[in-house]
Amino acid sequence: MSGYQMVIGLETHIELSTKTKIFCACTTAFGGEPNTHCCPVCIGLPGSMPRLNRAVVEYAVRAGLATGCRINEIAKMDRKNYVYPDLPKAYQISQFDKPLCLGGRILLKNGREIGITRIHIEEDAGKLVHEGGKTYVDYNRGGVPLIEIVSEPDIRSVEEAVEYVEKLRLIMKYIGVSDVKMQEGSLRCDVNISLRRSEADPFGTRAEIKNMNSFAFMEKALRYEYERQAALLDAGHPVVQETRRFNTATGETEPMRGKEDAQDYRYFREPDLVTIRVTKEEQEALRKTLPLLPDERFARYTGELALPESDATLLTQYRAVSDYFDAVVQGLPNPKTAANFIIGQLFGRLATEEDKEAFAIELSPDKLRALCELVAGGKITMTLAKATLEKMLDQNAGPEEILTPEEMAGMDDSQLDAVCRAAVEANPAAVKDLRAGKGKAMGAIMGAVMKATKGRADAGAATAIIRKMIESMPD
Amino acid sequence: MITKDDLLHLALLSKLEVKEDEMDALIADMESIVAFADTIAQASGGVEGDGLPTTLENVFREDEVRPSMDRSLILKNVNGGENGCFVVRTRKQAAR
Amino acid sequence: MSGTILTLARRLQNKEQSAVELTKEYLDAVSRENGALNAYVHLTPDAALAAASAVDKARLRGEDLSPLAGIPMTLKDNLSTDGILTTCCSKILSGYTPVFDATTWALLKARGAVLLGKTNMDEFAMGSSCETSCYGGAKNPHNLERVAGGSSGGVASAVAGGIAAYGLGSDTGGSIRQPAAFCGLTGLKPTYGAVSRYGLIAYASSFDQVGPIAQTAEDAALVFDAISEKDPLDSTSQGRREETFPLLSQPVKGLKVALVKEYFDGLAGSTTESAIQAAAETLRAMGCEVCELSIPEISYSLPVYYILACAEASSNLGRYDGIRYGYRTEEGWESIHEMICKTRSEGFGAEVKRRILLGTYVLSAGYYDAYYKKAQSLRGAIHEAFEKAFCQADVLLCPTVPRTAFPLNFTGVDPVETYLTDICTVSVNIVGLPGLSVPCGSDEEGLPIGMQLIGRSFDEATLLRLAHQYETARGPYKSAERGVRV
Repeated sequence: MSGYQMVIGLETHIELSTKTKIFCACTTAFGGEPNTHCCPVCIGLPGSMPRLNRAVVEYAVRAGLATGCRINEIAKMDRKNYVYPDLPKAYQISQFDKPLCLGGRILLKNGREIGITRIHIEEDAGKLVHEGGKTYVDYNRGGVPLIEIVSEPDIRSVEEAVEYVEKLRLIMKYIGVSDVKMQEGSLRCDVNISLRRSEADPFGTRAEIKNMNSFAFMEKALRYEYERQAALLDAGHPVVQETRRFNTATGETEPMRGKEDAQDYRYFREPDLVTIRVTKEEQEALRKTLPLLPDERFARYTGELALPESDATLLTQYRAVSDYFDAVVQGLPNPKTAANFIIGQLFGRLATEEDKEAFAIELSPDKLRALCELVAGGKITMTLAKATLEKMLDQNAGPEEILTPEEMAGMDDSQLDAVCRAAVEANPAAVKDLRAGKGKAMGAIMGAVMKATKGRADAGAATAIIRKMIESMPD
Repeated sequence: MITKDDLLHLALLSKLEVKEDEMDALIADMESIVAFADTIAQASGGVEGDGLPTTLENVFREDEVRPSMDRSLILKNVNGGENGCFVVRTRKQAAR
Repeated sequence: MSGTILTLARRLQNKEQSAVELTKEYLDAVSRENGALNAYVHLTPDAALAAASAVDKARLRGEDLSPLAGIPMTLKDNLSTDGILTTCCSKILSGYTPVFDATTWALLKARGAVLLGKTNMDEFAMGSSCETSCYGGAKNPHNLERVAGGSSGGVASAVAGGIAAYGLGSDTGGSIRQPAAFCGLTGLKPTYGAVSRYGLIAYASSFDQVGPIAQTAEDAALVFDAISEKDPLDSTSQGRREETFPLLSQPVKGLKVALVKEYFDGLAGSTTESAIQAAAETLRAMGCEVCELSIPEISYSLPVYYILACAEASSNLGRYDGIRYGYRTEEGWESIHEMICKTRSEGFGAEVKRRILLGTYVLSAGYYDAYYKKAQSLRGAIHEAFEKAFCQADVLLCPTVPRTAFPLNFTGVDPVETYLTDICTVSVNIVGLPGLSVPCGSDEEGLPIGMQLIGRSFDEATLLRLAHQYETARGPYKSAERGVRV
């Protein structure tokens, strides 16, 4: 893509994982026969009134704190008025000009910060199914609590857009406010995209594409929009500010009719709900409930623990994995070893994303740490350690239950020295080849060392000893 | 001055249909009501804020599930609906 | 007069009559009188008799019963009643049967109240005569050529007509107090938040309150105490500060009562003015200090009210689209949008449509600041002005309405002219204070005149005791001589 710069802003709707809806005590459980998770409040019967779920406010404040937002001490609820069958009161209770959170940011890998304008709470609408010339309405989802996270138009590429959403997902999962599953609808994105020639130019006219519910579709939609807007601008035509939807069949975006036409939401303060006050003390108390966040952990892993970035990325991908790793490396001199074990072997048993999220590994961190300590102390080789770990995982046992006491005791230097000398003396042909520069010949000698030590010898140390012996041999 | 277009726009937002023969009378009514509302323009003073008559804050409900209402009651006023849902035809002939 | 709650309660307690007999007496009276009065729009005789029978059984078992037990009463048709039609007297809610009870009704039901039926009202409580009702207006029992008032006209007509001992109405800009004044009854609009709004079909959410229309201050106090519990279902509800009935005989000597100048504009020399002045004299004789004060901000309370109330109404009434309950158009449609527009246009009456359009107008882009926002800030100013006034007085006094009951078909000709008659009542809803209308005289034609007592927040007790003791000093108020007489 060339010629224009993409300017992208995202509005992300995230379903909160509270037990009940935002304004009534109906369950938020997914699925269920239509209209079986409803009551007079969430179907908006005349005379019904909303009651705000405390947990929704707490989850939203935590989401704000976890993304660097400042929390509005005084916030309120407003009515957003429009008529559509999935909205039983003909207004959505949302937040307009005094939302709970303002001014946060998301840090991308390329070092760029994407600003978060605001985060507010609101209720979800019901579901419409169009079939056989009829529209069927199910209000089970109506009233499910949402937070809407609005980004500044700071995103400059499709890759950045995807990374931004992935980062939001990761943070929300870490702090436990949502299961953020795009396929299930607990994470939805609306994208705003405009083009301009360069950073120095003012923003162009933007188009909004609503309800992206998969990363693949979001990417396709953005790329299509770039081409569409670029073609218009090249031909000297203006881009129309409009709402569009992504047609998954054609791979194109098209204008959305009806719902958004002539929309004037006539926001005003919701008179049935009272002011929300979140004091500084309450904000602090909620901040304390936050776990160390992915960025903070990544910084520690690459800094203090000196792990490579690729390891740190994999370890921070899932909170349960990171929590486990943190427990293992407590007081451990060789965190890289622990990382290798987790990424190299434990992940092998956790095939899918769900598996890694759930991290159903029975082996306690203490036991894995014990294994790492044996490696650190040179008591066992990595080869033996890996084999031991597989058995430990199978049996949910510590290393002391798998290894023999001799293996645990390891080999000291004089023992290794003796074994190497024996192997060298027993393989004169290989020694001769080695001295002639045939590096492969080391294999035969090493084989003999390993055989004699039942694989316990440290290959690196043995190699060094053997070379030294050979070098110091008289010609 | 409320024009026909103004009225039609308001009607669209309010989801009301205004027939041609109702238009003039309704515009006249609206103009006199709006003129009456306009008298606040002369009022000086005013206090910041929503002016709502309640000083309550932080009235919350705890996050505990209660049984939902039986679907038969939810759908009672539409005679049970169809397939457990509220139904509307996308288009329909007049019932004559 | 017709049986007050206390008179009837004594009868039932002394076993002079059973609740079932009493209910039958009232039901007979309803069938005799309702044709002329058009007070009731849905009758529930079976449920009434069943409730009465349950009260009789409980009394036989020796249970401790509330004075409200077995007393025949009515509810305005915008209060949700489980299993009983609730239509707000609008075509758009024809056939609507709620699946839950309004909290205020549940509280009375729990005390053994006997609901005879639902009464007439202006459509969606929008009106001052009861004539915007899809069932036609309710008549004034003192003079059938006059309206009972609005919007709780049906309740007032039934109580003054002797076919209900008391009723619950709702008041957004005067809808309890004005019909009470027109029909010679006592009507209380409680402090905003004193009584739950859960189940009251909303007109303007930051103005609406539910309250009693009764024949005496004592009765009003009894009912208010029963319905003013803090309700967890209504986030704006706080409940009453104290029970008012036990305090009715507390001394009133020394209470500062102030006549508010602005409410008497244009009334010089009228019978209404003299009736209020006479009442003021009586209060003085009772030991109150009567003075005068001015609240200039009252002059813009009418446009402030109509702007804000209509804005909220336009939003509250957005849900009526024929999809989940109520009327759905019989015309054909090409899209759901069209179905909704047709349904609403056919289902709503003219006054409701006007108010929805005004509400949409004042909230719409380009007009919001000049109308809605400005009105909000003036609302705050009016609130401050009343707070200041209550530094100099304990109770404010004025007429409830600048005139007596309108003739039939008089209002609705010029909507704005009708709005102007709300001048004395709307400011009380704007500030959320309690307002009580008490009969204090009648005009040359014998039509009742009511005086309005306005109190501090949650100070219903002072208003009710002042009214109760005034009633004693005034003497019994004339009855319309209809229905059940005791």
